[in-house]
Amino acid sequence: MPRTSRFEGRLLIAPLTAFLIALLGFPLVLDIIYSVSRVGFENIRAPEPIGFSNYAKAVADPEFWAAAWFSLRFGLIVAVIQVVAGLMLAVFLAPLFAKRPWLIALLMLPMMVAPALVGLMYRLILHEFVGAVPYYLLEWYGDFPAFLGRDWAFTTLVTVETLQWTPFALLILHSSYAAISPDIREAAALDGARGRRLFVNIDLPLMLPALGLTFFIRFIDSFRVFDNLYTLVGPGAGGSTTSMSIYIYQAFFKVGDIGLAVAASMLLLAASFVVLWAINGLTARKAPL
Amino acid sequence: MRKPLVNALRWLVFAAAVVILNFPVIATLVTSLKSEAEIMTNASLMIEAPTLDNYAAVFAMADRFDILHFLMNSLVASLIGSVLAIALAFPAAYAMARFGVGRSWLLPLAVNLRAVPLIIFAIPIYLMYQQVGLLDTRFGLALILCLVNVPLVLVLFASSIADLPLEIEEAGRVDGAGTLRLLAYVVAPMSLNVVAASSVLAFIYSWNEFLFGLMLTTNNATPVSVGASFFFAASGGGVRWGVAAAVMILATLPPLALGLLMYRQIGRSMTAGAVKG
Repeated sequence: MPRTSRFEGRLLIAPLTAFLIALLGFPLVLDIIYSVSRVGFENIRAPEPIGFSNYAKAVADPEFWAAAWFSLRFGLIVAVIQVVAGLMLAVFLAPLFAKRPWLIALLMLPMMVAPALVGLMYRLILHEFVGAVPYYLLEWYGDFPAFLGRDWAFTTLVTVETLQWTPFALLILHSSYAAISPDIREAAALDGARGRRLFVNIDLPLMLPALGLTFFIRFIDSFRVFDNLYTLVGPGAGGSTTSMSIYIYQAFFKVGDIGLAVAASMLLLAASFVVLWAINGLTARKAPL
Repeated sequence: MRKPLVNALRWLVFAAAVVILNFPVIATLVTSLKSEAEIMTNASLMIEAPTLDNYAAVFAMADRFDILHFLMNSLVASLIGSVLAIALAFPAAYAMARFGVGRSWLLPLAVNLRAVPLIIFAIPIYLMYQQVGLLDTRFGLALILCLVNVPLVLVLFASSIADLPLEIEEAGRVDGAGTLRLLAYVVAPMSLNVVAASSVLAFIYSWNEFLFGLMLTTNNATPVSVGASFFFAASGGGVRWGVAAAVMILATLPPLALGLLMYRQIGRSMTAGAVKG
């Protein structure tokens, strides 16, 4: 390509680059500066450098680690359940979708609802007097748990998140399952593989990349959970449901500790890089297959 | 012999999945159609006397909480955010696909950005907005929605433009068309499918965004994803559940309708976005 087209290319990416520098690069620089400064709303333009004490404060805060642990556990559990449930639905319902593709639209609907609104909806649905779930549990079993109490909050949140995002796993895994060539299955069937053996030896290995991908996407999304958690329980249940995102939000808005919030953000960024690095490493190794 | 039985089981599982996965919306819709009195005495999914009173009540309290204002904020900010994301990403994706410019850093950056919790940037953005007066403005919110959407849109465009036949563009070049002209009259028309699909998805994601709406707006530009919770406290004391339910349904209707109408495009974009990223 001649020099003019390189120049043109640069011109074409210039607007996006400028936008990203303004809304991503500049905030990142601010993040870094504030994380090593004593800063409050009063000296926001003139932060005072203090070294790494904000980081030390975050690392020494048991609530920081509780939040990190919550996010990690929540993300892993939710991702595993979603991939398994999505896989089972995708495979079992595949014959229905093959004949009537629009059926999958009804299962995609949960993804169209704002997670924040889903959180609010569960406040209604799980309410002890007006909620449908306690009503039917009372009807059928004579009792229902305190869904948002200390003992049950985690399970409730896992269920809420799983029910909303299993459709994503279903969608990705369905398209990956449907993309397996019928020839391969026929050949395997000629060799005597059928039923479960066909699934375990042929379908599953072919779907492995899609399974890994779905798991990572769901893990990352659930790890940073904020919306539904905030609207359903807030920091409630004795702080037992504070995710990393909620922790940072509270350090900033409730406590007003900008330095701590920003230091925690940077640690979260570092953690995301580790995860990304691991994912890229794994996918790069898988690529030649 | 066994086949019809298995098939019936499939339908059963499908129906159960539809009801369970959509349960929040179904139960909220049912509640929104009950009278205030019935909600207190009948928590089941059966409605004894359906009524639209709650919806009327929502619009009647516009002097305190204006649902139309919140919906309008969401609509305007989401539209600007989606259109801007496409306007920025489309030429950039073309430059990456055809000139190789920025492919080594811009695409990986965008892809990885989707995996980074955006709350990391939320605090400095809040402080920046405070300084430049973008807090609590629709445009300020739209800029963030654009930022949220850019990675997905860029990935979708980059892969779709690379798949377009090069010959047509070359023919255009021979006829003397410059890059901008090619983009507008050749590449854009051939990409309309992707533009439509990604703008629908971008719009839905924008409409549903919550964190930045919560942090960056207080009243003037509050999107409905945030404003909906205001109605929970609307009556001071106890929650008026019927009103709250009606608000949630109104706030959910636009993306839900889009999802039903455009499920095929959305599904394709979601899959492509996941696989190509």
